[in-house]
Amino acid sequence: MSLTETLIAARSRRSPGLRGLLPRPDALLPYAVPAAILILWEIAGASGVISDTVMPRPSTILATAVQMTLSGELFTHLGVSALRALAGLVVGGGIGFILGVSNGVSRLSETLTDSTLQMVRNIPHLALIPLVILWFGIGEGAKLFLVALGVFFPIYLNTLHGIRNIDPQLIEMGRAYGMTPTQQFRRIVLPGALPSIFVGLRYGLGIMWLTLIVAETLSASSGLGYMAMKAREFMVLDVVVLSILLYAALGKLADSLTRALERRALKWSPAYAGR
Amino acid sequence: MQAVELLPRDITVPPMLRDNRGAAVSIRNVTRSFEGNRVLSNLDLDVRPGEFLSIVGKSGCGKSTLLRLIAGLDQPSSGEVRIDDRPATQAGDKLRIMFQEPRLLPWANVADNVAVGLRQGPDPQAVTEALASVQLADKAGVWPALLSGGQRQRAALARALVSHPSLLVLDEPLGALDALTRLTMQNLIRDMHAKAGFTAILVTHDVAEAVALSDRVIVLGQGGILHHVEILRVGPTQRGSAELAAIEAEILDAIFAA
Ligand SMILES: Nc1ncnc2c1ncn2[C@@H]1O[C@H](COP(=O)(O)OP(=O)(O)OP(=O)(O)O)[C@@H](O)[C@H]1O
Ligand SMILES: [Mg+2]
Repeated sequence: MSLTETLIAARSRRSPGLRGLLPRPDALLPYAVPAAILILWEIAGASGVISDTVMPRPSTILATAVQMTLSGELFTHLGVSALRALAGLVVGGGIGFILGVSNGVSRLSETLTDSTLQMVRNIPHLALIPLVILWFGIGEGAKLFLVALGVFFPIYLNTLHGIRNIDPQLIEMGRAYGMTPTQQFRRIVLPGALPSIFVGLRYGLGIMWLTLIVAETLSASSGLGYMAMKAREFMVLDVVVLSILLYAALGKLADSLTRALERRALKWSPAYAGR
Repeated sequence: MQAVELLPRDITVPPMLRDNRGAAVSIRNVTRSFEGNRVLSNLDLDVRPGEFLSIVGKSGCGKSTLLRLIAGLDQPSSGEVRIDDRPATQAGDKLRIMFQEPRLLPWANVADNVAVGLRQGPDPQAVTEALASVQLADKAGVWPALLSGGQRQRAALARALVSHPSLLVLDEPLGALDALTRLTMQNLIRDMHAKAGFTAILVTHDVAEAVALSDRVIVLGQGGILHHVEILRVGPTQRGSAELAAIEAEILDAIFAA
């Protein structure tokens, strides 16, 4: 056996065996930086470099989380916030999707509503908070309204954009092959607009959490935002940090779920092939 | 060997030795204008059942316009297009069209794309047969994005033929393919035509392709038909034979004389 042959043989022999046993190093890589930060943070807190009254240590926060989980308090607030987020997403996203579809498909509907919507879009929806509190008080209505309004626009705009950008040649093919308008919509328009709708959904999710935090912080008697507010009043810093971390975790969870859904739904697209 | 013969223009070729499933197309006094610009004017054309007709002509002379009228995708400004004695728009799945682009649905696999050609619900066996006939049997479950250009166009051909149409219209279906793939596809289309016996109307800018495939070639120009050439095949046709070359030259002369 020549030297090169030996090297090739050695290389091909080595790779599968070890790889199968250990987790792939590149799968762990994204977690390296957060882990390092947590460790440094803990050391800085334990050695007194960072005072516990400024920033509680990860271990303290973890203990608080365990204690609040056992008492059931955490899940009550978490559940309330998640429910509000979901309700706002369904209402705002649903209306956005329906209007996006009808304006993408019908000239009349677009002429009637699009310029009005473009005007409303330029109002930052959080600027409506004083008005919304006057209208709805601090009840669930106010939060549902704000979240729904925030989620509405990205989904509306991206659904409309997706439908507008359908390849007209495909529509003509559908027509030539005898598809009814309903079939054309179901088999061509909707799947063609889907990548764009997913973009809207992911934007919408970001806005959903942001709106909910602000709304719950300003006016609520339950939910993560309320939990953080109350903790601030009583100077319970570890609960404040815990609620912030939970928002981050929920946001990441929602994004990961959407990504997984996107990968499944768009697996035909070369952009997702092999991923 | 006398493989190709030119016939005088007014002799009708009897409907070949095919199972007579082709549709008859009759175009009567058809005019099509776009904003006052007359693209086709008082055009008459008959296509016999089972005939393979090619339409050639300069770019912009109205070939696609004529084909869209035949396919019922567009309406004449005046005049009438009839397929088997009924308006072109009512041809349903008797009529199939192939475009220059494959126009496959990117989100459906090859088999589901072929099934688009079936009006009355799914029929896995028909799809399998259609795919086999274009040598794509092993690609049934593949996304169109993963096919080569020639494979995509073959999938589009399977979609067009899965419903066993009696009229197939093709608008430069091979225009975007490389020369070698094009020859393979030409043979495929010719074989399918010979086997299934549908009427075929092909628009092409490639005169050699028109001559290699057709029973008749018409040259379109100035809103009407400038020239007809009948090509009678006796026995196998040889590409590049002197007879075919003479016909090609005749057609090119007619195109450039316009
Ligand atoms: N929908 C339309 N609206 C306006 N003008 C049109 C339309 N369709 C075609 N035309 C015009 O009709 C003429 C013929 O077009 P057509 O597409 O039929 O040409 P063609 O022979 O197919 O050309 P090519 O070989 O380049 O494909 C052109 O001048 C074109 O601009
Ligand atoms: Mg054309």
